Amino acid sequence: MTLLKAHSVTRRYKLPRTTLLGQAPVLTAVESVSFEIHAGQTLGVVGESGSGKSTLARMGMAFEAPDAGTILFEGQDIHALKAPALRRLRPDFQMVFQDPFSSLDPRRRVGWSIAEPLRAMGVTAPNRVSEAFEQVGLHPGDADKFPHEFSGGQRQRIAIARAIVTRPKLLIADEAVSALDVSVQAQILNLLMDLQDALGLGILFISHDLAVVASICDTLLVMQHGKTLEYGPASDILNNPSHAYTQSLLAAAGDRF
Amino acid sequence: MFEIQNMTVRFTIGEALRDASLRISPGDRMGIVGESGSGKSMLAACLMGMVPDAATLSGRLTIDGVDMTQVPEIIWQTIRARRVAMIFQEPMSALNPLRRVGDTVAEPMRVHLGLSKTQARDRVVGLFEEVGIPDPTARLRMFPHELSGGQRQRVLIALALACDPELLIADEPTTALDANVALKITDLLVNLSTSRNMALVFISHDLAAVARATTNIAVMYGGDIVERGLTAEVLANPVHPYTQGLLAARPDPRAVPRDANGNRRRLPTIPGTVPPLDKMAQGCRFSGRCSVERSECASVKPMPAGPRHAACHAILRGAP
Repeated sequence: MTLLKAHSVTRRYKLPRTTLLGQAPVLTAVESVSFEIHAGQTLGVVGESGSGKSTLARMGMAFEAPDAGTILFEGQDIHALKAPALRRLRPDFQMVFQDPFSSLDPRRRVGWSIAEPLRAMGVTAPNRVSEAFEQVGLHPGDADKFPHEFSGGQRQRIAIARAIVTRPKLLIADEAVSALDVSVQAQILNLLMDLQDALGLGILFISHDLAVVASICDTLLVMQHGKTLEYGPASDILNNPSHAYTQSLLAAAGDRF
Repeated sequence: MFEIQNMTVRFTIGEALRDASLRISPGDRMGIVGESGSGKSMLAACLMGMVPDAATLSGRLTIDGVDMTQVPEIIWQTIRARRVAMIFQEPMSALNPLRRVGDTVAEPMRVHLGLSKTQARDRVVGLFEEVGIPDPTARLRMFPHELSGGQRQRVLIALALACDPELLIADEPTTALDANVALKITDLLVNLSTSRNMALVFISHDLAAVARATTNIAVMYGGDIVERGLTAEVLANPVHPYTQGLLAARPDPRAVPRDANGNRRRLPTIPGTVPPLDKMAQGCRFSGRCSVERSECASVKPMPAGPRHAACHAILRGAP
C-alpha cells in the first residue's frame, strides 16, 4: 500500500535581491523529484548538505508547500487540504529531528513533551505515553525526568517516542542518527527496525551517510543539487551505482580499512 | 617528542582520564577513537596544557624530555601555537564572524612571532595556498560566512599552522563536513604532516577517517586507553572487547539489509550505554557492557598488557 507519493515535486526559494531593481535570484532546492513510500518499507534519501533532502522532508510533513507537483498521503493531496483537515490527518505522519538536544524543551519533563502530539489531537491518554516509553526501550518512570538527565541516545529515543505516540503510519526521520556515536547509532537504527516490524511503519529516512542508509532502507533516492540522480531498490543501486556521484559516496562510506 | 606518562585527570565526580600513557614522535600520525565521554578531548586538553582548573592532575607530560606539568600558564601561551596547535570540530563557531579570515590567521604570527602586518599577510597567503584555498589573496578579505564549511575548515588548519607547530591536534576535524569534503580534509592533514614532518593527533569517532589519516591508534573508553597499536593492525584484528564491539557496530554499505526470509537484519550493538562519570565501575570501565566479563572486572582495574597494551582481564587470562 502506498503511504506517501511525491509526483515531480519542485520547490524554489527566493534569495535576497542583489541589485535594487533586478529580479531576486531564485534557488531551486528540489527539482521534479518523485518517489513512493509503502507501509512497512523504508525509503532512504542520501545527498550532501544543500542537496534538498531536508526540503523534501519538510514538504512531506506539509510544513511547506511545493511550487509544482503533488504530495499524496494515502491518496490525499496534503497541500490541497484545509488546515482543520490537515490537522486531523497529522497524527498519521510524524517526524524525528536530527538534534535530540534542541528538539526537546529543556524546561519540560519529557513525559509532557511526549504527550504534546496527543494534546494537539485532543486526546488525553496517559497509558499511550507509557506505552510509547516502553516501545522505545525506556522506563515509564523516566517520564518525570528532564531532558538534561538523559544521554544523547536516550534523548533520541524520547524524540522517537514522541513521534510514535500518535500511532502514525509514516515516520520521517531527518538525520535522526547523525549526531550519535557509532554504537548508539546502531541501537537507534535497530530500534527503528523493531518499531517498523511491530507497527508496520513506512519510514522516510534521510541521511548523508550512505552506510547508515544502506543498513535500513529498501529503496534509495540519491540527490544532488535538488535533482534525483538515482532512484530504485537499494540493493540495485548499492551493487551497481550508475552515477559517478553515488560511486564516490559509496567509496567514502565503504572505506573499510 | 611529546610524552604523557600515567596521566590521571580527576574531578570531584570521577576520573575523566585514568593512567593514560602515550608517546608522540615527530611526524607520527596518531588516531584517538572512542565515543562521547571516553576521554579523547581530555587527552587533547592535557597535550595543550588546557586541563580545567577544577581538575586535579597526576602523572607527567614531557616535551622533549622537559616536564611540563608544573609550567605556568604564561609559558604555556607561547608553547601553544609555536609547538602544539589545535583545530576544532565546528568550523563556524571557531572563527570570529566579525573578523576577516586573513586577519584571524595573521594574529598568532603578529603576537608570537612579532611579524609586521605585511610580513604576516604574505605568510597567510602562503599558508592558504598550502592548505588548498583557491585565490588566497581574495580570500584574505572574506568573512567566515562567505566561505563554505570545507573552506572554513581549511582556514582553521591554516590558523593552527601559523607558527609552525611540531604537533597538530585535530579534534573531530571532519565530523561537521560532508563525506566527500571530509575525505579531502583528511588527506590534506596527512599531506601536511608528511611535508612538514609535523606530528598529528587525529581525534575522531569516525573509524574510516582515522583509518585513512593515521599510522597509530589509541582506543579509549571511559577515560582509559583500552588498546593501542598500528592503525591497520588494530582495525583489522581488534583484541579488546570494546574495540571489537565498536567495529562491529559500524553499518556496512554492502551488507544485505534483509535475510532470506525477508526479515530485516539488525546491526550488532554493544548493550547498554556509557555510564556517567560518577557511576563508572572502579575496575574495568567497560564492565557491565562486556560480553566476556569475569568476576574481577568490575572491581579490579586491568593493567595494559601485551603488544597491544590491551587493558582486559579476559585477554590477560588467555582469551575466553
